[in-house]
Amino acid sequence: MAFVNLQNVTYKYPLTKTPVLQNINLQIQEGEFVSVVGPNGAGKSTLCYTLAGFVPHFFKGEISGSIEVAGMESSKSTLDEWVMNVGLAFQNPFNQISGAKYTVFEEIAFGLENTGVPRDEIKVRVDEAMRLTDITDLADRSPYSLSGGQQQRVALTSILVMQPKLLVLDEPTSQMDPIGTREVFSVIRKLAEGGMTVVMVEHKMEWIANFADRVIALKDGQILLEGKPNEVLTSDVLAENGFGLSRYTSTAREAKKQGLWKKENLPVTLDEAVKGFKK
Amino acid sequence: MHERLSFYVKRDSVIHSLNPLTKVYLTLSLILITFTSPWYWTPHLLVLIAIIPLGLIGKVGVEFFKAAIRLILPAAGFLFLMQAFFQPLGEDVIFKFYFLDVTQESMMFAFRNAMRVFVMVSAFTFLLLTTHPSELMSDLSRRGLPGQFAYVIISTLQILPQMQAKAQTIIAAQRSRGLDTESSFLKRMGLLTPLIGPLVFSSLAEVEERAIAIEARGFTSKRPKTSLHQIPDTKFDSTLRGVLILLVILSIALKLWLS
Amino acid sequence: MFEKIKNNFNTQTWVLIPIAITINIAVGQIVLLLKLPVFLDSIGTVLVAVLCGPWAGALTGALSNMICGMAIDAGAFPWWPVAAMIGYMAGRMAQWGFFKSWWKVVVTGFVVALTAAIVSTPIAVYLFGGITASGSSFITAYLLQTGQGIWSAVVSTSFLTEPVDKITTAMLAFAIIQGLPKRTIGGFPKAEQAAVEGGANKNQLYIAVGVVVVLVLFAALMLRNILGG
Repeated sequence: MAFVNLQNVTYKYPLTKTPVLQNINLQIQEGEFVSVVGPNGAGKSTLCYTLAGFVPHFFKGEISGSIEVAGMESSKSTLDEWVMNVGLAFQNPFNQISGAKYTVFEEIAFGLENTGVPRDEIKVRVDEAMRLTDITDLADRSPYSLSGGQQQRVALTSILVMQPKLLVLDEPTSQMDPIGTREVFSVIRKLAEGGMTVVMVEHKMEWIANFADRVIALKDGQILLEGKPNEVLTSDVLAENGFGLSRYTSTAREAKKQGLWKKENLPVTLDEAVKGFKK
Repeated sequence: MHERLSFYVKRDSVIHSLNPLTKVYLTLSLILITFTSPWYWTPHLLVLIAIIPLGLIGKVGVEFFKAAIRLILPAAGFLFLMQAFFQPLGEDVIFKFYFLDVTQESMMFAFRNAMRVFVMVSAFTFLLLTTHPSELMSDLSRRGLPGQFAYVIISTLQILPQMQAKAQTIIAAQRSRGLDTESSFLKRMGLLTPLIGPLVFSSLAEVEERAIAIEARGFTSKRPKTSLHQIPDTKFDSTLRGVLILLVILSIALKLWLS
Repeated sequence: MFEKIKNNFNTQTWVLIPIAITINIAVGQIVLLLKLPVFLDSIGTVLVAVLCGPWAGALTGALSNMICGMAIDAGAFPWWPVAAMIGYMAGRMAQWGFFKSWWKVVVTGFVVALTAAIVSTPIAVYLFGGITASGSSFITAYLLQTGQGIWSAVVSTSFLTEPVDKITTAMLAFAIIQGLPKRTIGGFPKAEQAAVEGGANKNQLYIAVGVVVVLVLFAALMLRNILGG
């Protein structure tokens, strides 16, 4: 049994005419790191919401198909149960600060207080989670006084402390400066190496190529292509469908057309490009 | 442990260590007694025997004094003037100010009302100086206040400075485009939209994501909630609350009996 | 009974209310800066009332005054029942369909103003003897000097000052709702109350202005009669 099993999922937001997800079929194994790429409007965020249970339980709308995640089934489980098993973080770190707490420590504990975790256990889990994301020194600060990268790490920690089985990340570094991006990616890398099942929407192709087990290319609500990062991210299908390619890939592509790139496969990362051009 | 807020001042005093609900009782009692007690000099007496001593015991005397000068006295003072001049009571005209008669009755009336306001505002200021909002909300939640109310109050207190900063930015931006707060009435009316619009729309756009974020952290969970911090509630607290209730009842009873 | 109250409140309501309260306070301060003869400190309350319902609106108004009283201006505190009433009435009017076009919105503003005037009068009289620390008290004082009773003086003052403020507030709230994307509105419990009927075009705006004039004249006449000419 796949850890995540989406079958023929079609979804339309309320009061809209076109379904945002059309006939999605997706299986993910436990421990996999899956990355989702796609142009704007492809339905990436909606896919994230679906995995996290917010589609359809929060947004209502019309849904068909079967959604099974971490042993839960969409038509049988409530949002309350779903959020215990799936963690969701998105682009804007400021909007993920609850506002209910004055310090980072309390902010992270918020989710545990809400779900009735005993006091002593809360303290232990929060300490542990903060160590994992390296924000122990921020414990007494106000969440509103932090930088974007710090806020995003607090948001991630607040989700991780709830010990989700699946982590869904919707462009977590899009609004970060380079330092913030580095900080957030290093946390995600640690999680991936620790065996967490992750689905991440991300544009930074070089990064995906190094860490994702699989890449899913989404366009107009449908899965266009899926497979290993090196295959998907350098595929002509992406180039022809308006996906942004990594600069190394596009450079090599041009070079290939002019006969300057001799290898069969296009590079995604700097290292591959360097190796390829050396020959 | 808590970052500096607009009012709360962290001190090591008897008042600070009181249970938050007790302090709320204290504030409400002061206000109720000052407004219901039939004796004219009640508010004045309360300032002497209650407000000032509490300020000293709570070691917030300095902050309280500053707040009094900045906020409370002007408010009470303005009220005093308005009522002294405009409340047409009695016949004993003490002096005339242009066409306005100021009678002794008016002065006395104004004096009492101004002092009442002074007591009310002081009591609240005192509460805010000695009680951290998250402690108060935590305690109230433990006693049954739904978590959503606590959320709304604390969230508002935290976003307020952000919103005011946003407003300042928008005003500054408009100023650099020639906004003139001294221009004609119509122009100033027209300025409402470019000032209010950006402020409101950017704030409303946050609602959906933040709602999702807190739901993802169990905001609507039906499980009984636990609390990270433990707020103490001692015998002294409960006794004090009992005494305060008695005093308020006494005050109301006196008023009813005498009227 | 409780169900009706509960259905005003979903998670988005709870997130909206703090934002609405801060909008109330911030706009109130901007208006002071612009030195305009209005308060405009209930825009947020009306927004919540229309999008979520009368009870949510009432809660927003009440908390708004209390928090303003705590953080900004202590004089705001005693008026919380008025603010709650503003939210409640605006929500009821929206439920009856009175927030779907410009002239209906004007009527809503007017009704809310009258309710505010009525509810604020006892507070002004009992707590402050009729003269509050607001500029409008000059009007009250004048009326008192001309021999009117305290109650009619206070009510008259409110009847004069409230309509302009509340009608403007309602119209601004309407303009804001019109400018919001459907997706944003859709998440709130009473989103359908905010759906604008037909397009709100210039003609409707003229009708609205006409209605304002009529209402103001009507109010003035009513006042004359109440006060015995």
